[in-house]
Amino acid sequence: MTAAITTVGLSKQFGSTIALDHLDLAVPTGSVFGFLGPNGAGKTTTIRMLMGLARPSTGYATVLGLDATRDRDEVHRRVGYLPGDFTAYADLTGGEYLDYLGRLRADADPRRREELVDRLELDVSRTIRTLSRGNRQKVGLVQAFMHNPDLLVLDEPTSGLDPLMQRQFREIASAARAAGSTVFLSSHVLGEVEEIADTVAIVKEGRLVVVDALEHLKERARRHIELTFRDPPPASTFDSIPGVRDVTVLDHTIRLVIEGSMEAVFRAAAPLGVENVVADHAPLDEILIGYYESDSS
Amino acid sequence: MNRFVIFTKTIRDQRRGIFAWGISIAALVVVMALMWPTVRDMPDLKRLLSNYPEALRKIFKIDTYGTPAGYLNAELFSLILPAVFLVFSIGRGARLIAGEEEDHTLDVLLCAAPSRSRVAFEKAAALVVTVGALGGILFMTMLLSSWAIDMRLAIGDIARGTIAVTALSIEFGLLALAVGAISGRRSTAAGISTLIAAAAFVLYLLGQLITAFEPWRGLSPFTQALDHGPLGPEWSIGTIAMCACGAAVFAAALPRFTRRDIRT
Ligand SMILES: Nc1ncnc2c1ncn2[C@@H]1O[C@H](COP(=O)(O)OP(=O)(O)O)[C@@H](O)[C@H]1O
Ligand SMILES: [Mg+2]
Repeated sequence: MTAAITTVGLSKQFGSTIALDHLDLAVPTGSVFGFLGPNGAGKTTTIRMLMGLARPSTGYATVLGLDATRDRDEVHRRVGYLPGDFTAYADLTGGEYLDYLGRLRADADPRRREELVDRLELDVSRTIRTLSRGNRQKVGLVQAFMHNPDLLVLDEPTSGLDPLMQRQFREIASAARAAGSTVFLSSHVLGEVEEIADTVAIVKEGRLVVVDALEHLKERARRHIELTFRDPPPASTFDSIPGVRDVTVLDHTIRLVIEGSMEAVFRAAAPLGVENVVADHAPLDEILIGYYESDSS
Repeated sequence: MNRFVIFTKTIRDQRRGIFAWGISIAALVVVMALMWPTVRDMPDLKRLLSNYPEALRKIFKIDTYGTPAGYLNAELFSLILPAVFLVFSIGRGARLIAGEEEDHTLDVLLCAAPSRSRVAFEKAAALVVTVGALGGILFMTMLLSSWAIDMRLAIGDIARGTIAVTALSIEFGLLALAVGAISGRRSTAAGISTLIAAAAFVLYLLGQLITAFEPWRGLSPFTQALDHGPLGPEWSIGTIAMCACGAAVFAAALPRFTRRDIRT
C-alpha cells in the first residue's frame, strides 16, 4: 500500500532557527495519523510544507503521490486542509464563507456540508465576527471536510472545541477514515488523538522522536494519577507496583506517576477505601522521557 | 461553474468603499464646478493670475485658468484628484493580497483556488475594475456638472482627463498589489508605492521647472497623465504607457508570489 504522505529528509530553516530537521515520515493510506509535539516542535511548519504554503529548505514531501511543492495545485484539489490559526472573513456569515469556498472548488458536496453543519451544531446564519472561537473552528472543520477529500490535513483541529464537540469531531474523522480517507492531524496533547489515531509520531525541537502504533505508545505513556482515600493511606502499597514512580502522600491523597496499565494501581487502591480518582496524561515532554529511558535500557 | 469567484467577491468587498469614495469625489467636483461662474466673472482675474509665481503658473497651468477646462485642471486635476485616487488605489492594492495574508485568510483561499496566479490575476482584475468604477463616477459627475453649469466641456476632453487620472492610479495600485504579493506586508506595499509615487511626482515637477530634468520628465507617470491637461483634447501614448507599466510590474511580481512562503 502506498503512503498518503511521505517526507524525506524534510527540513525547514528560518534564519538561524531550525524549525524542522530531516523529518522522515510515511503516513499509511487509510489511517488516522496523529502528529504530536509540544508547542514549537515544528508541526505547523511541517504541515505548511505539505500544503505547499512553505517550501522545504532541503528534502521533500509527497502527498497522495504528488510532489508537495511542484504539484501544489493538484494536492490542493484532493486535500482538505485546516490551518493552525484558521481565520475566515469576519464580515461574512458562516454560510456565505462556505458558499464562497464551495464555488471555488468544483467538487464541494452540499449534502455533505449540511451533514457536517448539523453534526457540529453550527449556526451558519451568524456573522463570523460574532462567533466564539470554538464556533469559528467548526467553520474551519466543515470547509476541510465538505468536499470529501482523499486526505485531510488538520493542524490542531480540536483547539477551541468543547469536549462534546471534540467527540463529534472524532466521530467525523473516524467516519472519514471508514469511507477510505486518510486523516493526518496534529496536536500538542496525547489525549486529543488517543481515541482515534492508529499511529502516532512525536516531534520535538524539529526532530522526529518516535513513530509508533498508538497501543504501543499508550503502554509506555505516563499518566499522572491522584487518589483520595477515606483514611490516610500507606505509600508503601503503591511503591512496589511495577511501572509506578514518584509516589507522594499528602494527608488523604496519594499522587503517583504510572507508565503503562493502571490496572494494578486500582486493584491496590480498591480495598483501601478510595473516594476519588483523577487521572491525566503526563505532558508530552514527560511521555518522551519514558521513551528515552526505556530505549537506552 | 462560476469562473470568476475571487474577482466577484473582491468587487463585492469594495462596494462600500467605491460608494463612499465616489460620493466624496463627486462632492469635490460639484463644489468646484459651482464656483466656476464666480471665478469666471471676477473682474481682475487676469491680473490676479499674472501675479502668481512662475513655478505655480507652470504646475497649475494658470495661463488657461480663464477657461472651464483650465480652471478644473488647476483646481482638481493637477493635484487633488490624482492624490485622492492614488490613496484609494494604493490602499486597495496593498490590502488585496498582503492584507489577506496578514489577516491569515489567505491560506485557505490559496488552497481552495485553482492556483496562486489565478488568485493574483482575479484580484488584479478586481482592482482595475474598482478604480475604473471610481473613474466612471468622476466622468459622470464631470459630465453632469459641465452640463448643469454650462461649462461646455467636450465629452472627449472629460474622457481624456478622467482616463488619465484613472490609469495613473491603476498603475500605482497594481504596484502596491505587486509589492504586497512579493512581501506579504501591507505596510511595505503601501509605503513603497507611496514613496515611488511621490518620487515620480517630484520628477514631474522638476521636469517642468528645471531644464536639466526636462529630458527625464517623460518617464514620470505624472507627466504621462497630467501633461496637456489632463482635461483637454490631446491624447498621448501616456495612457497606454501607464497601463502597460502597471501590467508589467504585476507580471514581474507573479513568479515570486507563486514560489514564496506564505507568512504565518
Ligand atoms: N515564519 C517563521 N519565522 C521564524 N521562525 C518560525 C517561523 N515559523 C515557525 N518558526 C519557528 O519554528 C519552530 C517551529 O514552529 P511551529 O512549526 O509553529 O511549531 P508547532 O506548530 O509544533 O507549535 C518554532 O521555534 C517557531 O518559532
Ligand atoms: Mg502549530
